[in-house]
Amino acid sequence: MIVIRSTLQLSDFKLDIDIELPGRGVTVVFGPSGCGKTSLLRTVSGLEPRAIGRLTINGQIWQDHATGRWLPAHQRGAGFVFQQPGLFPHLSVLGNLLFGQRRRGAGQLDQSAVINTLELDHLMDRPVTELSGGEQQRVALGRALLSNPRLLLLDEPLAALDAHSKYKLIPLIENALQLLDIPALYVTHSSDELVRLADHVALMENGKVTATGPVLEVFSNLDNPIANVDDSFSVLRGAGVGEQSPGLEAVCTDRGNLFYVPQGSVAGVHQVRLKVQARDVSLTLEKPIKTSILNILPAIVEEVSNPSSLGNCTVKLDLNGDKLLARISDFSRQQLGVEPGLHLFAQVKAVALLQSN
Amino acid sequence: MFQPTDLQALAITFKLAAYSTILLLILGAPLAWWLANSKSKLRPVVEALVALPLVLPPTVLGFYLLIALSPNGFLGQSLEFLGLPGLAFTFPGLVLGSVIYSLPFVVQPLRNAFFALGRRPLEVSATLGAGQMASFYYVVLPMTRLGFLSAAVLGFAHTLGEFGVVLMIGGNIPGETQVVSIAIYEHVEALAYAEAHLMAGLLLGISFLVLLLVNLLNRRHSLVGSQ
Repeated sequence: MIVIRSTLQLSDFKLDIDIELPGRGVTVVFGPSGCGKTSLLRTVSGLEPRAIGRLTINGQIWQDHATGRWLPAHQRGAGFVFQQPGLFPHLSVLGNLLFGQRRRGAGQLDQSAVINTLELDHLMDRPVTELSGGEQQRVALGRALLSNPRLLLLDEPLAALDAHSKYKLIPLIENALQLLDIPALYVTHSSDELVRLADHVALMENGKVTATGPVLEVFSNLDNPIANVDDSFSVLRGAGVGEQSPGLEAVCTDRGNLFYVPQGSVAGVHQVRLKVQARDVSLTLEKPIKTSILNILPAIVEEVSNPSSLGNCTVKLDLNGDKLLARISDFSRQQLGVEPGLHLFAQVKAVALLQSN
Repeated sequence: MFQPTDLQALAITFKLAAYSTILLLILGAPLAWWLANSKSKLRPVVEALVALPLVLPPTVLGFYLLIALSPNGFLGQSLEFLGLPGLAFTFPGLVLGSVIYSLPFVVQPLRNAFFALGRRPLEVSATLGAGQMASFYYVVLPMTRLGFLSAAVLGFAHTLGEFGVVLMIGGNIPGETQVVSIAIYEHVEALAYAEAHLMAGLLLGISFLVLLLVNLLNRRHSLVGSQ
């Protein structure tokens, strides 16, 4: 269990956090730029001496204002991957990787496991200043993992990279995070990174955490403001089930709903996450025939949000246990008579696949 | 050729420059660190004090030091109270004067190097488990080593050329406090131009080589830094 009750007053901004997070798995801290995500990580890591409050990580007290306890950053064991890699230019790749281990002693992790997982072997002989941004970030992640951390903090590690490097790095990060049985806080404002990596989510806004919960639940909870905006989305989890019809594969969710996806996208993939934009889901009372839309699923309306100022509302649907959001105009809602308990069909126009191994 | 007193003056000059440089690095590094990182309201005041020897005539500095070091002066009295010998007209007195006189030449390159380094490398090393001493030794020192080198070379070279302060507080005792610059002055006063030429040329050559070295090092900065 991670308990963070901290306030940090900066010149033009106040961080005010009071959350409990699971003591294992990846918690993605998600929110717009400037909402205090980085300050939160810095507070947890001990890099903000002005932060006051109480901080315990899996039973270890890192800070307790009441007793005056304040563990300095170098004694906390919070591995930190910054947005900029911050490699030490005077050290080799190996020197960087082993920097933390030499200070804190070797941990559970084998050096070669990290080097293999992050595909660093061919970089070992190159000066760190000649590595690309993505390569440097891989070394920085390896360095943090090898420092025998009790908690891993990643502050938008992909933000400074181009799209191609991001695409290559995400699966490596995913694998690397599984090497260690320690919790990780991963800060991002990219919903794709979130859907891909998160077990758990903490939503942030204006220096506060507005909601926390498992990734499959947070976004479909209409109490959370993020479920009631035009780019709301839902997250579903399933497994690839191979070819269903010629040219068509499918993903079967944990609750048995079948989502068709283009061929070649999920063959042999055990775990897949689906991100469905609420505005890509439309509602119909009768099952349409002769339509180009592949994914039409029966659903029951569970909840309807109040309309926004733009006249749109979010409808939360229950698909045999899977929760799916639809963003429709309030006018349509009235026309169809959408209210809790209504049986209808959800037409899903697009599904984004985010795979895991 | 060189007279024995000239060789003594050379030896004293280099010894003075070496001692002063070592002391300046030890004292200047924390001061420069503070100047690079402090948000204190006192910082501009300290900055101005450190830069004072740049603009002050060395005789002014030397005069105040002489007053302070005299048996009735503040430093002289303190030393006497502690049972220590006085510093006026002694070699340790020269070292003290040089340290003050060359302070900006050491502190400013160091401050610039620390400023350019920024906080991030230290934050990284702290999250990797390095305490302050380890961070200084394994991160700050190697990453700012060219700043340290520039500071050492400038401090050394500047002390070599010291005249006014030394004359005021060191007097001109051959074999004890007579340095090269003063020996040259003596030769010129005595119209011994050949001897003056020899020593002046030597000092000119050394100073030029030292500055050339600094410039070459600065040009190679990125190359050296990447190794």
